[in-house]
Amino acid sequence: MNNEQRRKERLDRGIKVRTDGLYAIMSLRELCYLTVPRLVLIVGMLVLPLVMPSMYWQRVISIVCIYAFLALGFDFLAHFVGLVCLGGAFFIGVGGYLAAILNTFWGFPPLVTIPIATLLGGAICTLLLLPCLPLRGVYFAIVTLMYPLVLMRIIEALNILGGTDGIMGVASFANRWIEQYFVIVMVLLFLFGLRRLVNLDIGLVFRAVKDNDQAVRASGMNITFYKAIAVFVASALGCLAGACLVHMYMWSGISLFALDFSILPIAATVIGGAGTVVGPVLGCFILVPISELLRAFGTLRIVFYCLILVAFIVFRSEGIMVYGQRKYHQFERWVTI
Amino acid sequence: MDILIYGTINSMALALMALGFALVYGISRVANFAHGALYVISGFVTWGFVRALGVNYLLSIFLTMIIIGVVGALIYQFILIRVRGMAISEIIASYAIGLAILEGLRWGGFKGMTYTLPVFIEGSVDIGEIPVDFHRLVVVGIGAAVVAFLWLFTHHTRIGLALRGMAQDERAALMLGIDSDLMAVVAMALGSMLAGLAAILLLPLGNIVVEAGYNVLILAIAVCIVGGLGSWMGAVLAAFLIGFAQILTVKYLGSHYQMVVALLAIIFTLVLRPSGLFGQQKELEERV
Amino acid sequence: MKKKSMWGVIIVVIVVIAAFVIYYATRPPKIEPGIVIGCPLSTAFLYGWDAERAITLAVEEINAAGGVNVAGKKRPFKVEVIDTRDLEPGVPVSEALLVVEKLILEKKADFILGGPVRSEAALAAMDLLSKYKKVSILTTGVLTPKYHARVAKEYDKFKYCFRITGEAVWMVTGEIIPCLVDIGQRFGLDRIFIMIQDVAHARGGGGLIAKIMAKKGWHVIGKPEIYPTGTTDFSMGLIKAKKEKAQVILIWMDMPETSILLKQWYDMKLPALPFGSIIAAAEQPGFWKATEGKGEYCLANVVNAGNAPSNATPWTMKFVEAYKKRWNIEPEGYGTSTSYMAPYVLKDAIERAGSLEPDAIIKALEATDMMGVYGRIRFDPKSHQVIPSVDPEEGAVGSIFQWQAKKRVVVFPKKIAMGEIQLPPWMKK
Repeated sequence: MNNEQRRKERLDRGIKVRTDGLYAIMSLRELCYLTVPRLVLIVGMLVLPLVMPSMYWQRVISIVCIYAFLALGFDFLAHFVGLVCLGGAFFIGVGGYLAAILNTFWGFPPLVTIPIATLLGGAICTLLLLPCLPLRGVYFAIVTLMYPLVLMRIIEALNILGGTDGIMGVASFANRWIEQYFVIVMVLLFLFGLRRLVNLDIGLVFRAVKDNDQAVRASGMNITFYKAIAVFVASALGCLAGACLVHMYMWSGISLFALDFSILPIAATVIGGAGTVVGPVLGCFILVPISELLRAFGTLRIVFYCLILVAFIVFRSEGIMVYGQRKYHQFERWVTI
Repeated sequence: MDILIYGTINSMALALMALGFALVYGISRVANFAHGALYVISGFVTWGFVRALGVNYLLSIFLTMIIIGVVGALIYQFILIRVRGMAISEIIASYAIGLAILEGLRWGGFKGMTYTLPVFIEGSVDIGEIPVDFHRLVVVGIGAAVVAFLWLFTHHTRIGLALRGMAQDERAALMLGIDSDLMAVVAMALGSMLAGLAAILLLPLGNIVVEAGYNVLILAIAVCIVGGLGSWMGAVLAAFLIGFAQILTVKYLGSHYQMVVALLAIIFTLVLRPSGLFGQQKELEERV
Repeated sequence: MKKKSMWGVIIVVIVVIAAFVIYYATRPPKIEPGIVIGCPLSTAFLYGWDAERAITLAVEEINAAGGVNVAGKKRPFKVEVIDTRDLEPGVPVSEALLVVEKLILEKKADFILGGPVRSEAALAAMDLLSKYKKVSILTTGVLTPKYHARVAKEYDKFKYCFRITGEAVWMVTGEIIPCLVDIGQRFGLDRIFIMIQDVAHARGGGGLIAKIMAKKGWHVIGKPEIYPTGTTDFSMGLIKAKKEKAQVILIWMDMPETSILLKQWYDMKLPALPFGSIIAAAEQPGFWKATEGKGEYCLANVVNAGNAPSNATPWTMKFVEAYKKRWNIEPEGYGTSTSYMAPYVLKDAIERAGSLEPDAIIKALEATDMMGVYGRIRFDPKSHQVIPSVDPEEGAVGSIFQWQAKKRVVVFPKKIAMGEIQLPPWMKK
């Protein structure tokens, strides 16, 4: 048969091959190839608040960073450990309430309550999620979706922790710039920290749990323990986000458990590119400002938002960052066979 | 006595809400998070026919069910079919569609509390000393009829048997020549029609508001999880369990705990017996 | 084929984003001579659009009459309404707070009128308003007494916050209790059953009513039944009411499921008068048609006069007619007359202060004394809450109406009543 067929071939770019390993420091060009994207990200994020036209947009950046924490946690759990957690709101709520209680009842300043809320909140969330860790697949997703709703109803029904009115009068950050840069720096730290984490030994175990947990179990390791560690990391991130949010707005209440906090990080991950830790952050940077810009449309903005989300999921579910990385590292060409 | 009557009514209401979701998941393993949106939109479509266009009530119900079935099938055919198999993408896609529909309705002016449907039969009757209005009895009656109809349908008609086959083992069904995509579309259409039926039966009791969509979705999920995500009979039984639990809570514990009961039921089920009461996904029992 | 659809999506998204960026970037910076009023409202809900419509109406009237006189110059009001979605169940309050900040920082609002509507959001917004030093007048929603209590406690911090709409404590002590006592004396009733929603202001209000009515010699059946938001079944509560021979059912819920409650009450022919301290479904004029008359005899409290037709002051019916002409429907909800008054009160304060300076405006607002749509408008100087009364000559008057023969007939306070309370026929022994 003499059919001339064409197919697409993907090859690593030459420069990528040259930058593997020690040869990366051979010349400036290779160094740039590796560091420029990262530098653009870091410098970009640090400079962003300074170039924003008004204080309102600076506030939007802070909100983006809060969602970015959640998205980082979600991506880490979903694509490196195989646990899909739809309950981002749960972490925000626990972290937020802890920070508010520490601040209003014991009077700790924000820079003390935030670390405590992060670690303590992470521990509490992990403990509460412990019974559900052995579950798999869509069941875990639905349970974590229900957790914030249950907690919300419990607080409402028992009328504790401020009930439906919430806790008010939480202290704010000392300085506007500290408020702004604290979250940005934290996002960058955790972003690169997580990338490090998944390349360590423990990261290897996480990825193994995702791929084939029976094999890990057969190797004699306790899967629930490793899953718990992963959940602790993700929930600590979420609690950090909640604590920062509470101090930014000087208030805490049951609407911290709102569904919005669960859904938006997932949307950001889908759009930004799952699996790459930086993709979800990028997704947040895209989604939240678009959502704000679309406010002119009133309720229609949610409709647009959802339709964009569906379009991305259905037609291009790999996300922007994955596509971008592929283009950056590889090139494609047609070959005839 | 009042517990018995109103417990049954509450349970039937929950069962009607949950059956659509259970059907779709059982057959095509697609979690249809647009269930609540389909519920609300069928309410508004019926309202449009009955109040705005003045069409005969029975005819409107019939037309609405057909329209909703078509809408469900379209959603599946154009969107969900492309993400089939990837559980999370399905959830997000169907949730986003549901949200788009609900918010679209709100933007289209369907806000406020003045959208209602007329009840089927006016008046009430006293059973023993307990007053029950006719429409609620109708709900119980039709609910039972629907359950019976589903059972007969899936046991004695070709399509029904094909659906059951797909629910039991998709690969084997494929080998027998049952087109799984077509069956999934049929399942989705049926599920949407059930959601529409639930809406038509339950909405005349009050008014049609967009917020009901979120509540219905959560209750449907709760019932389906407790009953086992693959099983229809399980969903019905779980509906009775949760329905009576709620009524008992209101009577003896305090009415403000009723929502908590429904949600805690999920968590307990998942911790103690993850596959639910009658779940067929035994692999979930296998815990790691 | 995959490539095309992918490019299609990307191109569409880029075009949309580019369109917005260009739109925002090329808008000429508006040097608005108008005074910007920011309105953070939940416009998809009754307690949001009632305020939006009334504020728009008032501002249109004021601008048509020439505007506001600020130290000699006449400037128009400019209204910026942004939807906060804060009454929607899945939306966090931080969204509402972001809207308030958007209004203040981007739209350069001089004053905030109207919302946020949910009590939680309004309480949280107080800190924001204090931070940016913006005067705000709450005109709808927010029944919680915590709001003005907070202003009184930390005056210097929260002096920017005013509330021109009624609140729960006065509603209970000044309107609901006297009305109930009146009903008790007139018809010889003394058994009351309380059903409330699981929201802070309802819990507080319901509990207070139970305590006070017990002291007045009424038989309060059981404890107040609390229903979580989103409950769709009230059968057990109504059956209990019937068994215990309740004669008045006190309802305090602002969720749409109240229509289920009322329809069931009617179908069961319960021999009890439904008294709604807040009963959301019954406040709209479309309620009658929507329930095919099953809402007859239901009483509802609309917090401020003018939300149902009455003759509280000469301005009341003028307002009702103007609203009907503008929006083709009678005033509904309980934020309409207050939202209509707020721009007028603000105009009056600005003209007396002669500037837009927040401290000057605050002093001028505290000295407000005008006859408005629902009575004499004066603010308490310590708590910035509008001073209520049952006499329109003395203070802001509330309104309790009953659905009679397809109409909303105001039955309380006596000074402005347009009709008498009637019992449903199946209650007359």
